[in-house]
Amino acid sequence: MGTLLQQIANGIVLGATIGLIALGYTMVYGIIQLINFAHGEVFMVGAFGGLAIYRWVLPESWQEQWYIALPLMLLGGVLVAVVIAVLMERFAYRPLRNAPRLAPLITALGVSVALQEAIRLWFPDADAAQPFPRVFIDKQIDLGPIEISASGLLLIVVSIVLSILLQAYVSQSRMGRAMRATSQDRDTARLMGVNPDRVIVLTFVLGAALAGVAGVLYGSYITNVDNSIGFQNGIFAFTAAVLGGIGSLRGAVIGAFIIGLIKTLGGQYLPGGTQYDYVWIFVVLILVLVFRPQGLFGDVERVRA
Amino acid sequence: MTKLTGFLPPALARPFAALGGVLFLIGAMLPWATFLLNDGPYPDKATLQFFDAPLELTGYRWNLLLFGVFALIATFAPTPAKARVLRAFGWGGLVISAITAIFIVGKGGGLGAITSADGNVAFGSIVGIIGGIVLILGAGAMPLDDVPHWSTKVFGLDGWAGRLAAWAVLLVAFAAMLYLVSLTLTAGGIGGAAFPYAGPIFLAFLGFAGGLLGALHGLGITGWIARLSELHRAFSIVVLLLCALALPFTDAGSQYWMQVAATIGVYAATAIGLNIVVGLAGLLDLGYVAFLGIGAFVAANLSGAVASTVGWNLPFPLAALISAAVAGIFGAIVGSPTLRVRGDYLAIVTLAFGEIFYRTAQNDIGNLTGGASAIPGIPPISMFGTAFNESVTLLGTELPIGVLYYFLIVLVVAAVMAVFANLKNSRIGRAWIAIREDEDAARAMGIATGRAKILAFLVGATLAGLAGAIFVHKLGTASYDSFKFLESVTLLAAVILGGMGTIPGAVLGASLLFVLPEKLREFEDYRLLVFGLALIFIMRFRPQGLVPDRVRRAEFAGETAEGKSIEEIQEQAVLEQEAELEREHEAPATAKETGR
Amino acid sequence: MRNQTVKAASLVAAGVLLLAACGTNKEEAPAGGGDNQAACDTSKGTLVVGVISPQSGELSALGLGIKNATDLAVNQANEKCTVKGYKLVVQAEDDQKNPQIGAQAATKLASTPGVVGVVSTLNSSVSQSVQPILDQAGILQISPANTNDTLTKGENFDTAPKRPYKTYFRTCTVDSLQGPYAADYLIDKAGKKNIAIITDGLTYGEGLADTFTKEAEKKGAKIVTRQKIGEKDTDFSSQIAAVKPFKPDAVYYGGQYPQAGPLSKQLAGAGLNVPLMGGDGIFDDNFIKLGGKDGDLATSVGAPTEELDSAKAFVDAYGKAGYKEGFSAYGAFAYDAANAIITSLSKTVGDKEWSDSMRADPVKNTQEYSGEGATGKVAFDEYGDSTNKVLTVYQVSGGKWDPVQTGEFGG
Repeated sequence: MGTLLQQIANGIVLGATIGLIALGYTMVYGIIQLINFAHGEVFMVGAFGGLAIYRWVLPESWQEQWYIALPLMLLGGVLVAVVIAVLMERFAYRPLRNAPRLAPLITALGVSVALQEAIRLWFPDADAAQPFPRVFIDKQIDLGPIEISASGLLLIVVSIVLSILLQAYVSQSRMGRAMRATSQDRDTARLMGVNPDRVIVLTFVLGAALAGVAGVLYGSYITNVDNSIGFQNGIFAFTAAVLGGIGSLRGAVIGAFIIGLIKTLGGQYLPGGTQYDYVWIFVVLILVLVFRPQGLFGDVERVRA
Repeated sequence: MTKLTGFLPPALARPFAALGGVLFLIGAMLPWATFLLNDGPYPDKATLQFFDAPLELTGYRWNLLLFGVFALIATFAPTPAKARVLRAFGWGGLVISAITAIFIVGKGGGLGAITSADGNVAFGSIVGIIGGIVLILGAGAMPLDDVPHWSTKVFGLDGWAGRLAAWAVLLVAFAAMLYLVSLTLTAGGIGGAAFPYAGPIFLAFLGFAGGLLGALHGLGITGWIARLSELHRAFSIVVLLLCALALPFTDAGSQYWMQVAATIGVYAATAIGLNIVVGLAGLLDLGYVAFLGIGAFVAANLSGAVASTVGWNLPFPLAALISAAVAGIFGAIVGSPTLRVRGDYLAIVTLAFGEIFYRTAQNDIGNLTGGASAIPGIPPISMFGTAFNESVTLLGTELPIGVLYYFLIVLVVAAVMAVFANLKNSRIGRAWIAIREDEDAARAMGIATGRAKILAFLVGATLAGLAGAIFVHKLGTASYDSFKFLESVTLLAAVILGGMGTIPGAVLGASLLFVLPEKLREFEDYRLLVFGLALIFIMRFRPQGLVPDRVRRAEFAGETAEGKSIEEIQEQAVLEQEAELEREHEAPATAKETGR
Repeated sequence: MRNQTVKAASLVAAGVLLLAACGTNKEEAPAGGGDNQAACDTSKGTLVVGVISPQSGELSALGLGIKNATDLAVNQANEKCTVKGYKLVVQAEDDQKNPQIGAQAATKLASTPGVVGVVSTLNSSVSQSVQPILDQAGILQISPANTNDTLTKGENFDTAPKRPYKTYFRTCTVDSLQGPYAADYLIDKAGKKNIAIITDGLTYGEGLADTFTKEAEKKGAKIVTRQKIGEKDTDFSSQIAAVKPFKPDAVYYGGQYPQAGPLSKQLAGAGLNVPLMGGDGIFDDNFIKLGGKDGDLATSVGAPTEELDSAKAFVDAYGKAGYKEGFSAYGAFAYDAANAIITSLSKTVGDKEWSDSMRADPVKNTQEYSGEGATGKVAFDEYGDSTNKVLTVYQVSGGKWDPVQTGEFGG
C-alpha cells in the first residue's frame, strides 16, 4: 500500500511538470494547428537559463538564500524561454503559416534538434548532466507512508495555481477572448479587429513562460539537468495534451496528471516493470488518437483541421 | 526566375565580366598562403610562387584557372544565355575562393595568412573573391535570356541514325557524370591525419562542380539530356545501372567508399520505401526506421549468428524475403489503426510506434533483439560460393573488399526504383496521389482509401525490411541503437531534401545526408546542429526539395503542373477577358459599318 | 553611379591593404615547438594512431577523455622521439555510440595508410562492429573501456572461452572480475545482506550486474530486486519507489556516473540512506559533484593513483596539457593503451621503415608487452585481457574518493 501511495505521489509531481509544458502545446496547437515539437526544448532551455543565472549572475551570498535565488532564477528561466519561443515563432513558423502541413512539422523537428545541440555545444560542460541547485527548502516531508520533497510540493502547487490563472485569463480577459476567437476562425477574428499575429505571439509567450517556470522548478526538484530532458518530457506533455483534448486547457492539466500516474503506476505494476513505462505512455497515445482523437475534453470538430 | 537587379549599366557588363575572368586567372596563379600552415602544407601547392608555371596548378587552383578561361571565352564568344553561364562561373569561383580563404585564415590564425606576413605576399584568395563578385555583377547586368531549348533530334537526324546519335550523347553524358561522382567522392582524400584539409578541399570542389553544373544548366545542356533520357528511357536506365556498377572500377573504388556507398544504398532503398508512404500517399510517417529495424532483427535471427536465440540458419535470399514479409506485416499492423487519423496526428501515432519499437528492442523483448548486448557476429552474406566480405577480381582488376555488397545494393536499389516507378503510374499509385491531394474527394470518387493507405504502409515497410536484412549482414551486428528516432527524422529529411515523390530525389537525399558527414568529419561536433538548421532552412526556402515532383513543385510554389505561375494564369485570364470585351465593343461598330 | 563605383572600389582597396596588417599564428618552426622538434628525426614520415570513441552526443565526455589521453601519450612520444624517424599523429573518429558509424570509422582507418593501431572503443556494442573490420586489416586494437567478456572470450566465455580476434586487446578490467570483486567487498567486508540492483540497461551495466548477482548469491546475500533506468533518465523516483519497500541495505548500480550521481542523491532524498556501489563507470569526481554522497563505493582497476608514480605523472601531465574536457573514467586506460601501441610500434620499427604489411608485428609485440602505466602494471594474457587483476575499492568520504581496499580477485 505504501508503495502504491508513493508512486501516486511521484506521479502527481511528474504530472505537475508535464502539465505546465502541456499547456503550451495545447495552446499553440489550438491557435495555429501546429505541433510545436520544439516546445519541450523551450522547457529545457528555461531550466538552463535558470542555471545560468545561478552560476554567473548571482553572487555567492545570494546563492544560499533560496527566497532570493529562486525568484531570480525563475525570472531568468522564463526570460530565456520566452525569447527563444518568440524567435522560433517569428523566424521559423511565421513564414510557413500557409504552407502545406509537412513544412512546419519538419521545421519544428529541426528547431528541436538545433536547440538541443546548441545547448550541448555552447553551454559549458553541457555534454553531460549538470548539477542543478536545489533552490528551495531542502526537506523531505513525511505524509504517512509517502515521502515527498518540498520542491516536489512546490511544483504541484505552482502548477495548479498557474493553470488556474491561465484559465481565468483566457476565459475572462479581452486578450483571452481574442485568443479564443483566433483559434476558432482566424479570418473572422481579423475582421473583428483582432491582430492574429500579435495573438499568436502572445500564445507562444504564455506557453514559453509556463515551460520556463516548469524547467527551473523541475531542475530544482531533480537537482540535475541535461540537454535531453526536453525531448522526453515533451513527448509526455504532448501525449497529455492529446489525451486531455487538444485545445482544452483543463484537459491538458488533467491529462498531464493522468500521464504522470500511468508512468509511475504502470512502471510499478504492469509487466515489464519500469523499463516499459514509456511504452505504456505511447500505447495510451495511440489508443487515444485512434479511438477518441478529441481526447477527454476537446471538440470533435477541432480534429478535422 | 527574377532577374538579378543590375547595379551596373549594361554597357559595363562585358568589361566587368572580362575583368572577373582575368581576376580569376591572376588569383589562381598568385600564392594563397603566406606560410606553411602549422598542421602541414595546404594542398595543391598553395604557396606556389607568383605567376609560376600555370600548367602545374592542381586542384582548386586549377579549377579556378579553368573558370577564368571559360569566363573569358563565354564573355567574348557568342554563347547562348551568357548571363546564366557567367553567373554560374562567378558563384563557383567565389565559393572556391571564399572557402579556401576562410579555412586558411582559420588555420593560419589571422588574416595575415592570406594577405601578407613576414615578407611573404599571398593575395590569391582575395583576388579570387573579388573576381567572383565582379563576374557576378557583370553577369547581372546582362539580359537574362531563357535557358536555350535544344532539339531532341540530335544533329537533326531521324529514325535509327537519330536514335544512335541520341544514345551516343547519353552514353557520353552518363560517363561524364560517373567521372564527376568519383571525383566528388575522392576530392580531398580520405581525411583524417593523412589528409588534414579534406573538408575544405571537398567543399571547394563542390563549388567547382556546382559552378560547372550551373553553367551547363544555363547553356541548356542539362535540360536537353534530361529530355533525351526521358525519350530513350530504357536505354538510359541500362546505362545508368552500368555506370553505377562501374563505380568500383574508378578512383572511388576503395574499401572505404564501397562501404559508404553500400550504406547509402541501404538508406536510399529505405528512403524510396518511405517515399511511397510520404511522397506518394502523403502519409506522414515519423517512425519509419522501425521497419528497417524489424527487417534487420528478423534477418539477424535467421542468419545463424551465435547470439541469436532462433537457431535457424537460412540461405540469405530466403531470409531476406522473410524479413521483408514480416516487416510488411508490421507495416499493415501500423497502418490499420491509423486509417481514421490524419495529418499531424498520423505523424504522432507513427512516432509513437517507432518509439515503442525502439524501447521494446532495447529491452530484448522475447529474447529476439539481444537488448543491450545486441546480436553480434552476423556472418557476411554468402552467395555463389563467395563470402561477401572478400575481395573479388573482375575483368582483370582487383576490386576492393565490400564491392559485392555494393553490387547487391545497386541491384536492389534498381529493383526498388522499378517497383516505385511502376506503382506510381499504376492505378494504386494514382489512388495514392489522389489521397495525398484530397482524401475526401478521393473517397467521393470511389477510391477505397482505407485499403489504399494500408497498402501504402505495407509496401513501404516491405521495402524497408528488405533493406534491413542487407544492412544487418553488412554491418555484422544488429543493435537497437541503430534505430533511434533521429534516424527516422534523417530518413524523412533525405526524402524531403531530395524531393518527395521522385525516384532520384530519395537517392540524392540519402546520398547527401550520408556522404556529407563522412566527407566533413572535421566538423563532426556540429553535425547535428547543422542538420537541425538545415531542416529549418530547407522547409523555408526550398520545401519541394532538390529534384521536385512536378505536382509538388507546383503545390509549393503556387504554380500549375506545367510550371506556369498561377498568378500569371489568372492575370492572363483577366487580360483575355478584357480583350474579349474590347472586341465585342468594336464588333457592333463594324457590324454597323457593314450594315449587318 | 560612377562615383559610387569609384567609392566602392577605393573602399575595397583600402580594406585589402588593411587586411595585410593583420597577424597570423605562424609559429617559428613548422608544426610547433622549435627546439624539441630539431632533436627528433621525423624524416621517414608520419604514422597514425587511431581513436574511435563517441565524440559527440551523450557519452561525449567519456569519449573525448579517451581521445585526449591518447593525444597526450602521442605528444609525449613525439617529444621523446620514441619511434625513430617517424612523427606520430592521432586520428580520432567519432562513432556517435552507433555501430554502423563505428564500422565506417573503422573502415576509414583501415584504409588509411600508416595506421599502426587504434584505441577503441568505448561501447561494447560498437566494438562488435569494429573488431572484424580492424582484424581483417590486421590492425592492432586496444580498448580502454569495453568490459563485456564475450569480446575476448567469445559467446560462451565462462564455459568454453575461445579468443575471437587476435588483434583485440584491452587495458580495462572485465565484468567477470569487477562484479564479483565488488560483491565480495560489499557482502564480506561491509556486511550487506539485502542488495537492490539498478542498471542503465546498457551492455556495461547489465554485464556488471549479472556477474555481481552470481557472486552475491553464492555468498548467501539476497538480491531483493533489480530495476532498470532509461538511458537518459534524470528522474528516478519510480524506480526508487519500486525499490524502497524491499528495504535494501545497499544498492549496486551498473552504469555511468552521469546518472549514478543523481541517483544516489535521489535515493537519499527518498529516505533510502544506503550506500550506492558501482563499477569504474562511476569512479569519477563528477559522480560526487552530481550527487554522490559519503559512504558510496566504487571499484576500479589498478592500485590507487597516489601509490603509483606513473599514475600521478599521468594526472599531472594531463592537467598541464590543458584539454577542455577531463580525462573522465577511461582516460587513464586509454593512455596506457596508447602507450602500449606506441611501444610495440617502436619495437617493430626499430631502425627500419614502416610498411603496412608489417601490421602483424605490433600485434605480436603487444601480446608480449609489459609496462607501468597510469593504471598499474599493463600486460595482456592469452585472450587479450589485461593481466592487471588488481582492483581497488574506493569510498566517498569528505567529498572525495578514498581507497579502502586493494587486492586481486581470486575466485
